[in-house]
Amino acid sequence: MNIESLYRILHIWIFRWRLQRAALYAARGLAVGLGLALLAGGAGLYFQKIIKSEFLGLALISSLAATLLFGWVAALWRIRPLQAARHFDREFHLRERMSSALEVSEQQANNPLAEILLRDAIRSAAKIQPARQIPLRFKKIDLALTLLFSILIGALWFRGENLFAAAQHQRNLEMSIDEQRAKVEEIIRAMEENPALTDAQKQALTEPLKQAQERLRQTNTLEGAVSTLATTGEKMQALSEKNAQAMQALKEAGGSLAGQEGSPLQALGQDLSDGNFARAAADLANMDLSQMTPQELAQLANQLEALAKDLAETNPQMAQALQDAAQQMRAGNLSEAQQALQDAAQKMAASAQQAAGMQAAQQAGQALSAGAQNLLAMGGGQNPQEANQGTGNQGLGNQGGAGGGSGRGDAPDSNAAGGEASLAPIEQNNGAGDGGESAYEQIYTPQLLNADTQDSMGLPTSGEDGAVIGERPTTAKDGESLVPYTEVYSQYDSFNHQAIDNGDAPPQFLDLIRNYFDSIQP
Amino acid sequence: MTLSPESFLERATKIEEEVGRVIVGQKEVVRHTLIAILAGGHALLEGVPGLGKTMLIRALGQTLNLKFSRVQFTPDLMPADILGTEILSDEDGKREFRFREGPLFANLVLADEINRATPKTQSALLEAMQEGSVTVARKTYALAQPFFVLATQNPLEMEGTYPLPEAQLDRFFFKVNVNLPNASEMAEILDRTTGKESPSANHAVSGAEILEMRELARLVPVPSQVKEYIAALILATHPQNENASPLTKKYVRYGVSPRGGQALMLGAKVRALMSGRYNVAFEDVHAVAQAALRHRLLLNFDGLAEGVKADDVIEELINEVKVEN
Repeated sequence: MNIESLYRILHIWIFRWRLQRAALYAARGLAVGLGLALLAGGAGLYFQKIIKSEFLGLALISSLAATLLFGWVAALWRIRPLQAARHFDREFHLRERMSSALEVSEQQANNPLAEILLRDAIRSAAKIQPARQIPLRFKKIDLALTLLFSILIGALWFRGENLFAAAQHQRNLEMSIDEQRAKVEEIIRAMEENPALTDAQKQALTEPLKQAQERLRQTNTLEGAVSTLATTGEKMQALSEKNAQAMQALKEAGGSLAGQEGSPLQALGQDLSDGNFARAAADLANMDLSQMTPQELAQLANQLEALAKDLAETNPQMAQALQDAAQQMRAGNLSEAQQALQDAAQKMAASAQQAAGMQAAQQAGQALSAGAQNLLAMGGGQNPQEANQGTGNQGLGNQGGAGGGSGRGDAPDSNAAGGEASLAPIEQNNGAGDGGESAYEQIYTPQLLNADTQDSMGLPTSGEDGAVIGERPTTAKDGESLVPYTEVYSQYDSFNHQAIDNGDAPPQFLDLIRNYFDSIQP
Repeated sequence: MTLSPESFLERATKIEEEVGRVIVGQKEVVRHTLIAILAGGHALLEGVPGLGKTMLIRALGQTLNLKFSRVQFTPDLMPADILGTEILSDEDGKREFRFREGPLFANLVLADEINRATPKTQSALLEAMQEGSVTVARKTYALAQPFFVLATQNPLEMEGTYPLPEAQLDRFFFKVNVNLPNASEMAEILDRTTGKESPSANHAVSGAEILEMRELARLVPVPSQVKEYIAALILATHPQNENASPLTKKYVRYGVSPRGGQALMLGAKVRALMSGRYNVAFEDVHAVAQAALRHRLLLNFDGLAEGVKADDVIEELINEVKVEN
């Protein structure tokens, strides 16, 4: 018997001890993993950040990872032989034989009792059966926690459909917002790559889009995203409408020129009529007056004068240049006339650029409006959590309200989707008890919120013919607004979202406000 | 090493058996006294009269085959009465002072009712107990080895007694409490001591063998963890120590000296050998802790007033002091 024999025994015991600890800590790790999954999953569900499949994945991965990590670390945790010897002395009531033998063998080898002590320790150790006396065991508290957390996770999994549906809804919304942001990015890129636009135009056009992109990045609510898209869409539309009248006048003037067969300006007129202002400008610049006969010059002068007259209001500078050219032609000053034509061509080319910018802005505005509509359509499926809060809302459409299917929801517990928008007008005095919308305060009457004027616009009531609200033309009376409802809705809605985002609206009325605006959506 | 641990155990067992022929029961008292002897220390036996303290020591004397002397301590006992003195000798017309050895010049000295002598006389034992020598008239005389003092005292009768000073108490390796025997032991005692023949013990070991046993006991290894535990235990008896138990902090005036730690470890070593082991275990320390420490722990006024026992304090320390693995 020598010290190696003692170490051999000790290593067998240490191996069993490692197994025991690995099993013990793996069970503890399982409990911790499940607990963490429950905590993270619960928080994720509370903040609507985690969907069902992710919850399952989280629970599985967390529990598995924690089990393996704890077990692995416990198994590989450093165990010094002397530490193990002391542990086993205690565990097996060896009365410090193992640790004494180990220490004496290593530190007091010349002690006359060393040999006999070692023999005694090995003899005592041989009586121990490691497989039986170092069993794999678990602590009750770990098992109880594992069971508890498993039950709670199971309960969330099987009974938390509403929470998962709400999270799914939110996820879809965020993905849609991301999509819209990507589309805005595409629009910006297209604008920046558009050769027809000047740098100043690009700057003017992309600036609001970039702001919208940033706001979309920061928001994760339907209201915020729609408000951003709608507002930006309106800005882009406003930019496109800025020179629309001048462009339209150019097109109309071009249309009349295109109809004059054989005239010198027929081709130019056709280009203007087609909206191809750049080519029209080139046509004008390329006219060589020196090659024309006097009759042709006279006809051209007449046509230029007519064109100048048509554009006098919308584009006075170009009209003046055209008028100058006509006068110089009549006076026989062909070189001055040619110069005036060049000047007019430059102004037309500028109009061409404006048209390009206008077109880009219009396209962007349309794309943003479409994006807002898409989001609204996607968000129309009301958050199932909210849908479950009151079935009263679900009946809004059917009960005579003008709701747009308020209370639509895809949660299994929401009994039915909301009815389609009724043709009947909004019944503002209907009670909550009839399953319809409760009476709301007058401060939320559809006034032109935040407008300069204090004039209120009464909602156009639908006629007996069942015309849809807002689509019926309004008849102006003294003191009433003349703006059609369909045109101001987006502005109302924008102000509504702004008010909600700023926290101006009382929280308890948020659902009511949303439902109301949904219901009056044109 | 001439003596094997097996022989040690055999001899110790034989001593216990021989003493057991005279003393009924009191196994722990016998064992602790024997541990003190085999560790090279002195023992103070405390118990009410009639429990067989003197008889136990007398039996040990018979068993150990050592020169035995008994000193009955009384208030008028003088140091010279136990140490010896110089007397004028007249031999062949030549007069000179010659030293006459006192009863201390023996291997086993029974100091019966030691607390009845004055502190001056009690202190005469100090050098003998600590150094194994006696100094008289500037001349030092070495005492024969093995030398040990086994003293007794009565805890009840306080009148006319002189409690042992701390320095004297600290010289005792163990303080052994002798308690009442149980009913069956009592019956056995009555039976043995009221018959025609008085029981007597036979010689079991010699003085030289005792010295061999002492030598072997000192070789018993103590694991570092147990050493750390003993150190922690001793330090924890001091009320100002951070590991001191609540009882210690409240009732102890002074803790145990390093000599107490030495007694604890040596006693544990002897006990390990007497238990058939070759190393000291925690249980050895626990087993001898009270005997080794109880007389070294000085209680404060509150402790004395409330009747707190040193044994309770030690018991609490044993339960509370832990060492890291």
